[in-house]
Amino acid sequence: MSIEISNITKTFDSFKALNNIHLKINTGELVALLGPSGSGKTTLLRIIAGLERADGGSIIFDGKDNTKKTTQDRKVGFVFQHYALFKHMTVFENIAFGLKVRPSKLRPSKEEINKKVHELLALVKMEELAKRYPSQLSGGQRQRIALARALVVEPKVLLLDEPFGALDAKVRKDLRRWLRKLHDKYPITSVFVTHDQEEALDVADRIVILNQGKIEQIGTPEEVYDNPVNPFVYNFLGNVNLFHGRVHKGKAEFGSLKLDVPEHLEARDRQVVSYTRPHDIEICLEAQGHEFIAAEIIFIRAIGPIVNLEMKRVDNGEYIEAEISKENYRNLKLKLGQIVYVKPRDFRIFIPEDYVI
Amino acid sequence: MSHTVKSFRIKQHSVIPGFGITMGFTFLYLTLLVLIPVSMVFFNSSSIGLVKFWEIASSERVLASLKISFGTSFLAALVNAIFGLLIAWVLERYTFPCKKIVDGLIDLPFALPTAVAGISLTTLYAPNGWIGKLFASLGLKISYTPLGITIALIFISFPFVVRTVQPVLKSIDLEVEEAAACLGATRLQTFIKVIVPELLPALITGFALAFARALGEYGSVVFISGNMPMKTEITPLLIRTKLEQYDYAGGTAIAAIMLIISFIMLLVINIFQWWASNRHK
Ligand SMILES: Nc1ncnc2c1ncn2[C@@H]1O[C@H](COP(=O)(O)OP(=O)(O)OP(=O)(O)O)[C@@H](O)[C@H]1O
Ligand SMILES: [Mg+2]
Repeated sequence: MSIEISNITKTFDSFKALNNIHLKINTGELVALLGPSGSGKTTLLRIIAGLERADGGSIIFDGKDNTKKTTQDRKVGFVFQHYALFKHMTVFENIAFGLKVRPSKLRPSKEEINKKVHELLALVKMEELAKRYPSQLSGGQRQRIALARALVVEPKVLLLDEPFGALDAKVRKDLRRWLRKLHDKYPITSVFVTHDQEEALDVADRIVILNQGKIEQIGTPEEVYDNPVNPFVYNFLGNVNLFHGRVHKGKAEFGSLKLDVPEHLEARDRQVVSYTRPHDIEICLEAQGHEFIAAEIIFIRAIGPIVNLEMKRVDNGEYIEAEISKENYRNLKLKLGQIVYVKPRDFRIFIPEDYVI
Repeated sequence: MSHTVKSFRIKQHSVIPGFGITMGFTFLYLTLLVLIPVSMVFFNSSSIGLVKFWEIASSERVLASLKISFGTSFLAALVNAIFGLLIAWVLERYTFPCKKIVDGLIDLPFALPTAVAGISLTTLYAPNGWIGKLFASLGLKISYTPLGITIALIFISFPFVVRTVQPVLKSIDLEVEEAAACLGATRLQTFIKVIVPELLPALITGFALAFARALGEYGSVVFISGNMPMKTEITPLLIRTKLEQYDYAGGTAIAAIMLIISFIMLLVINIFQWWASNRHK
């Protein structure tokens, strides 16, 4: 089922939690809502589910306007951040709930309910825990029960609010892979909220980046990671190095570093910020022209295949982070306190007046 | 979890130290305040012997009074359980002007001397009183009937259910109700299947307290009941009548009977309450 969110605005008292949100989610997509705390992710999800009323705009499911429909009629699966399981019901009863509350004409028989619940228990790998109460489960088990409970009614739309938030890294990874597989197996459209960029980049078909109630960028993981439209997105998706400098007629100057920037030919002596990811920093032992900056190595972490380096620029004392391969690290024979020459291999320049940094 | 016998777990980790002292104090306190006075009732009544005791217990007047006492108290507690739940709901879930004042009004039946409550209720519900007049025109008599007794008992035991249910209602996570709505449950289904089970232990506690309070009530009932033997005479009044006639043994015998029945009923309610609050642990 496709979801079209158009022109959604939501204000709490005088605080604008969502501002003019436009978003189209295609049938079968797994979309991640990514953003810092308080950016309006939960609010948007609740509006899609009908748990919250928007001040303006509309929610359209498969071309049909759903804005005025109640939550019960929207038939969406919702997995809450804190599970929201029914405490006084066993795992079995929790999962069966969605089937048991159907009007008698549509309600499956006892045997059918039984079969369906066990099917889902098998899906979330928790068959042996059917008789437990939620208070007797671990966080990860509760989370899976919450998922099974939402899936039992076979919703066409699944909304998940930080589904793996409270779990440890290993379980998180397992569960999100599991979600991806589930998604590929069933015809379902999912939106999941997260503030973990790695999680979003890992499983989502598309990522929607929210900030202060506004959408900053929508795109596939590669698009948003490789082509962030603004400094916020750049900053939010992984580590970055900032170089402050100025641009004049297509030439950029960052201290002793001089670069050609053909895309800013018309700029006249503007303050700019350049962004470079740590793995796009090149390190040489000798200076080669104006494209390099001298920096002193102040920290080395050589665990795993990637070596993290922290350096301090000699000219203005700013810090630079770099990631290089272990092989490269061995070839260069880098040591603490050594002076090296650094060059951004790939960078993006933003003129700050357009954005608040 | 289900293998451990909870009721026999004597010592477990607790944030308050001094298990021995606190436990000893609890027993001493209960003995002095509850056990000794209550056993005096049995001690006094035992002087008359079993045969006489049975004679008193099975006399028609005593049986009639017990029926009225337990019947009206049970009814009053039941009415309070239903409407107390409703009021607690309104106070917790809705905002309206003067909510604080309304909330404060709930406790008033506790503060009012019960005799005052009895007199004002009697005048209101008497056949020529404001409310009594309306019912009288329908041919319904309230004051000086078991119905009147029930109304007085509803009044004096009213705060219990509201006050026991309110905090539990407050602690119920709204998300749980939203989860039910997402699964297609109607409001009524959510209320019956999700909210009521969570409230049940508190509701039963409130019911038991209201019931116990109503059973022991005397001050307000004497005014509104009319005290006609066999018809509107409650057991506490009958006991008093006996005592006034210097029939101490007879009075305490009736008291003992009432105590036994009350104890059994409260025990049953407590077992039910224990079950309701422990089944999902
Ligand atoms: N019921 C409410 N009343 C008032 N303000 C609210 C309410 N719900 C949310 N807000 C505000 O709206 C903003 C967005 O909240 P929301 O819960 O959508 O954030 P979020 O992106 O989900 O954050 P988090 O990652 O911390 O869960 C926040 O600033 C929050 O304080
Ligand atoms: Mg949230």
